[in-house]
Amino acid sequence: MKRTTKRLCYMAVLTAVALTVFIIEAQIPLAAPVPGMKLGLANIVTVYAMFRLGPRDTLLILAARILLGSMFAGGFSAMLYSLAGGLMCYLVMLLLRKCLTEKQIWVASVAGAMSHCIGQILVAVLMAGTWRIAFYLPVLLAAAIPAGAFTGLCAQFLNQKLRSFSFEG
Amino acid sequence: MKTKTWVLLIAAVFAVLCGVSFALYHIRPQSTVANVYQDGVCILSIDLSAVAGTETYTVTDEDGHENTIEVENGRIRISEANCPDQVCVDTGWISGSLKPIVCLPVRLVIQIESDPATEALNLDAVSG
Repeated sequence: MKRTTKRLCYMAVLTAVALTVFIIEAQIPLAAPVPGMKLGLANIVTVYAMFRLGPRDTLLILAARILLGSMFAGGFSAMLYSLAGGLMCYLVMLLLRKCLTEKQIWVASVAGAMSHCIGQILVAVLMAGTWRIAFYLPVLLAAAIPAGAFTGLCAQFLNQKLRSFSFEG
Repeated sequence: MKTKTWVLLIAAVFAVLCGVSFALYHIRPQSTVANVYQDGVCILSIDLSAVAGTETYTVTDEDGHENTIEVENGRIRISEANCPDQVCVDTGWISGSLKPIVCLPVRLVIQIESDPATEALNLDAVSG
């Protein structure tokens, strides 16, 4: 697929937005009762891109955000968690994309947020070498539902507001 | 699917997850034995009911991480860690629930377990 310059710029802007949100969110200490719990605001961009730009460009935006994000805030192990979570989330949204209307974008985000948790717990289980960590999975999944619904609705409204904006040609 | 169906489905899943989480936090194992795992191998097993006063143990790894485990009668915590996230220290004392203390940078897990005997046997078999 040939990308127009405008489309490429739009992708770059979205990556920058996602990266900024990701880093700012990482700086805010959250008094979460469970380690690893967060809102996942950067996912707004991923969800929006998935429905507006399509899977291929979304993967590029997501990969760029995760690689740069863990360089600026985090490290190698943080990147592993982000990658596992991000890819799981991406795959689930990819599968759900075709079954959802424009008014149901938030559903993809909820499912994505939940699979993000599963991906991260899987990496944690592999790293620590014990299933005991999976204790946190139900709580994280439960928390992922409102968090995913919130970020998903943000993406959905963003999509509606920016409908007239054209990035082709 | 209709939006209403999605809402109901997600609400149902949410309710189930909340129930499971609540149950997991409130199940109390009969045992008072705390097992400390590093890289999935049990490196320390302490009967918390037999502890008098305060005992400390230090766990290190090859990356220079150092965790101090503090034990009192009936409870255990990680009191100090030199990892950046401090999640394990923030977990605080555990004294008999399924909730583990997890320190991912050191790949350390502490849990009070209902069936310590088999775990100890496994450890003996490994260390030979």
